[in-house]
Amino acid sequence: MSAATRSLSRKRPSGRKALLATAMLLVAVASAFPLAWMVLTSLKTPAETMQVPPVWLPHTPTLEAFGKVADVINVGRSMWNSLVIATVTTAGILVTSMMAGYAFAKYSFPGRSLLFSLLIATMFLPPIVTLIPLYRMVGSMGLSASLAGIIVPNLANAFGIFLMRQFIAGVPDDLIDAARMDGASELLILFKIVAPSVAPAIAALALFAFVYHWNSYLWPLTVLQGNADAYPIVISLSRLLSYNRGAVNTGLVMAGATLAVLPPLVLFVFLQRFFVDSIVGSAIKG
Amino acid sequence: MAKAFRASAGILLAPAVTLIGVFVVVPMLLTIWLSFQDWSTQTPFSDASFTGLGNFREIFGPTSVGRDFKTALLNTAIYTALSVVLILPLSVVFGLMVYQREVAGGTALRTVLFSTYMVPMIAVALVWSKLYAPSEGPLNQLLGLIGIGPQPWLSSPRSALVSIVFLNVWQQVGYFTVLAIAGLTQIPGSLYEAATLDGANGREQFRFISLPLLRRTLLFSAVIAIINAVQVFEPVALITQGGPVGSTNVLTYHIRRVGIERAQGGLGSAMAVMLMLSLIVSVSALFAFVNRKDSE
Repeated sequence: MSAATRSLSRKRPSGRKALLATAMLLVAVASAFPLAWMVLTSLKTPAETMQVPPVWLPHTPTLEAFGKVADVINVGRSMWNSLVIATVTTAGILVTSMMAGYAFAKYSFPGRSLLFSLLIATMFLPPIVTLIPLYRMVGSMGLSASLAGIIVPNLANAFGIFLMRQFIAGVPDDLIDAARMDGASELLILFKIVAPSVAPAIAALALFAFVYHWNSYLWPLTVLQGNADAYPIVISLSRLLSYNRGAVNTGLVMAGATLAVLPPLVLFVFLQRFFVDSIVGSAIKG
Repeated sequence: MAKAFRASAGILLAPAVTLIGVFVVVPMLLTIWLSFQDWSTQTPFSDASFTGLGNFREIFGPTSVGRDFKTALLNTAIYTALSVVLILPLSVVFGLMVYQREVAGGTALRTVLFSTYMVPMIAVALVWSKLYAPSEGPLNQLLGLIGIGPQPWLSSPRSALVSIVFLNVWQQVGYFTVLAIAGLTQIPGSLYEAATLDGANGREQFRFISLPLLRRTLLFSAVIAIINAVQVFEPVALITQGGPVGSTNVLTYHIRRVGIERAQGGLGSAMAVMLMLSLIVSVSALFAFVNRKDSE
């Protein structure tokens, strides 16, 4: 690294630029290091993971650790559960957010701003504040220890409504009025006319919701009460840490973590434009 | 026509309002109600019996219930303050690195920083528990290279909470960097041009243009960072279980342990109400502080 920095400063007389480039490189390396180390360690042999000083690169990369993960937890089942939870929850959030966002953006009705403020206020409520009664309520609805119990309480959220309202407000009224003249129903207008004009925002919300609910831990852990058949991958992972405690389990843990990280990270890499645009959009417009 | 519109507004709002009402607003009100009740989480709500301020007296009292809660409240305050104090300046510095046009690679840096925000906290906790491993862990090895002795990280009551702050900052800073970039792009370029003409150097421009105009962004970031920080759960639940000697016992973990695992629903709810009140007080104080600065 120091060689690279030196050649950079030789090319550019300004030491300021070299300093800035070095700082940026250091930040990027520090930021990327934990995940890079996770993937590399998942490919090491058990002996390599225990070596002091550590082996940074595996000499003979092996998928052995991933095989062992599959012995300890039901990887296929857990990944499937995570996929069902994230997909169904996301679909619900999209529909409820678009409907409510459309109403808040394009309708005037008494109490509109009060209702909107109340909904937005729930965005700032940490989930732990509602956890205890919610756990009891979902239990008495007969939904505990099931995927439905994880999904149903999360089918609508204030962030989605907020985001949709911000973007739907920018859709020209003329477009909507013209469709009304043609006698189109409001739901038809929403899904056939409004939705396509805010497609990037919908994509952003879909990705946010998917990643958030793929990663979510506290609520599934609480509602599932140890029903391992319904565990999403993030909860199954915790078993890896207790497996073989004290002995060699580092490679195993890293392989499991790699599996759980891959779906959200792959989505992000392909669709980061939408993520970033919508954060910027919601911060500016908010 | 107007009446028909009102009816369809009702239909459009019904699903979201019903769901948020039933699964967020009702439980929140129940939490407040339960905080004044003696209630076991394993029994129906109708079995609750009114105890007035009994739960609050107990969680602030001299018994072990009170000691544990007060420790958790203090730990959460320290954890939150440290997270905010580290995340905000870093997000501005990293935001400037991405935003500047002197050196290429800003967008790539943004991608790397933001990618950590996509990683499930449970995986972050697992990876960092191994990074922090005392002998074979890479962090102590790297410190050794620059002549610093091995640190106890998660295994000492003095450093465990701070170690969790570090992994939180690592995961979240990219998100706040993007917010800072959004704030920076809002500042009109003409201001900098005028300042350059007046002979202001980069540091002066940052001090007198960027920083004051970022105040709103930073306020928003601080609020989000606080709300996120009080939710810390996975690293504590998975790795430290609140230890060593209670040093990482934070509120989300403690409330769940009391209210769900020990089924002391009334006590847990009183703790949740105190968390809610603390949040309202600190966020209001933050707003008051920034508004006072604004009017100066």
